[in-house]
Amino acid sequence: MPQYLVAIQHPENYDPSVEGEAMIRDISALNEEMDAAGARFFAGGLESASLAKSLRKQPDGNVSITDGPYLEAKEHIGGFWILECADMDEALAWGRKAVVACRAPVEVRAFHKMRPNRKSPE
Amino acid sequence: MPQYLVAGYLPDDFDPSQMDEAMGREIHALNKEMIAAGVRKFACGLGAAKSLRAQPDGGVVITDGPYLETKEHIGGLLILECADMDEALAWARKGVAATRGQVEVREIFFQPSTD
Repeated sequence: MPQYLVAIQHPENYDPSVEGEAMIRDISALNEEMDAAGARFFAGGLESASLAKSLRKQPDGNVSITDGPYLEAKEHIGGFWILECADMDEALAWGRKAVVACRAPVEVRAFHKMRPNRKSPE
Repeated sequence: MPQYLVAGYLPDDFDPSQMDEAMGREIHALNKEMIAAGVRKFACGLGAAKSLRAQPDGGVVITDGPYLETKEHIGGLLILECADMDEALAWARKGVAATRGQVEVREIFFQPSTD
């Protein structure tokens, strides 16, 4: 079964305390619906992007580690699901529900299973 | 055990044909090392994106392409189970070396229950 990333996008100053009881109920109900459909492989909320660590390769071969997110963007992934769906359309149907439940934009991307010794994914 | 998202970033014009065999071997070896250590919960490369936005009328609009207008996007990700951030960073360092790339590590602090 193909797997899809459904990533919730939050502004960098996102305040989780704005999540009222109705929103928490909606998200919980969506998780239950995904479980009942056998679609939910993983779900996780991420710590604030300001607590991210970024690792960059240096020209001398060393790796530098800095505090903060890698992308200089005003929004970052706040949480995500990994779903097992028949196709992108089914993943998008869950994505629509996620937009409504999380009151936030969502990005959906297919995963390519990584296989060794292949130059590009299928 | 805490879980960490390790996301690898690629430029939008990344050409997979630039990945030589040595790089493929090193990424494969790192995955095997993570599995042997029992830290790798999930690993995958990502395909093209669709973006979903709520509309003022309550509908949802779906567009092709990534949500963030940046020149780099996540090319693949790992979910690792590690004792702490330092252990996750040690694996991420190896990831940078194997992929010749840039990596971000974030703690997954919340997981909805499965019951």
